[in-house]
Amino acid sequence: MVSGSVGGVAGTAEESELVGRLREGDEQAFEEAVDALYPAMFAVARGYVRVRSVAEEVVQDGWVAILDGLERFEGRSSLRTWVLQIVANIARDRGAREGRSLPFSALEVSEEEPLVEPERFLRRGEPFPEGWKVFPTDWRTLPESRVLARETRDVVDAAITSLPDSQQLVMMLRDVVGCRAEEVSEALGITAANERVLLHRARVRVRAELERYFDG
Amino acid sequence: MAEPSGEFQHDYTCQEVVALASEYIDGTMTAEQMTAFELHLNFCDGCSSFVDQVRTTVATAQRLSTDEIPDEMKAKLLTAFKDWHS
Repeated sequence: MVSGSVGGVAGTAEESELVGRLREGDEQAFEEAVDALYPAMFAVARGYVRVRSVAEEVVQDGWVAILDGLERFEGRSSLRTWVLQIVANIARDRGAREGRSLPFSALEVSEEEPLVEPERFLRRGEPFPEGWKVFPTDWRTLPESRVLARETRDVVDAAITSLPDSQQLVMMLRDVVGCRAEEVSEALGITAANERVLLHRARVRVRAELERYFDG
Repeated sequence: MAEPSGEFQHDYTCQEVVALASEYIDGTMTAEQMTAFELHLNFCDGCSSFVDQVRTTVATAQRLSTDEIPDEMKAKLLTAFKDWHS
């Protein structure tokens, strides 16, 4: 299965086999790779280019560059990381031309933004400083059908869409598409620490939207 | 009174647990951090709920559908692949 080999760790036998099949012109392998890599490629393109049709062009141009470079792919990073780096480079150029380069300095994390409203915690000098004033509600007591409902997914989807660009891109890649942390930081050219912080901030913001939805 | 035994280097506050929730969920903590983190969760219902909320958020995001490649683009790419190989 190709889908199992594109998210793989660099240099696995599965991945080398896939690369070999692509180099030999195996159309089925190509079709499977195109399908399996599309969600991540499109998410990266969309991170830099707002217009959907332009992001699709970026993915297409990405494949042209990938085929051009396939002979040179050495497997030092995973195939997906390499592919996403190529897409990110093309998308950055396109984004810049559109006057919308996601400033990846925006991926440098602002330390000022609190994760959860500070007023929800007790202050120093109070009993249990930095402890909760009022506990968050326990969603484990909610009916499972409510947690799994379509509407709940829609709330999360909308919340991810309204995240700041850099957080949105990282959460899309990590949680929605299912990329590994190293793939994301390498593909976007950010440090592992920044990737972690962006992901966590994104999740906490989306959590807050779900909290508003569940707690009413 | 003796000093509390130093078995745990650090007792996390609730705000620190909030900051570390993703690292816990993703399994990227050190064993020592995890022990202290779980000790906190064991006696703090608020943080236990918070961590579960983040976990539910992630699980829901994982269930979202991803974009599929448009048929037209796929056809174009297949043609490009055939040309590339020939």
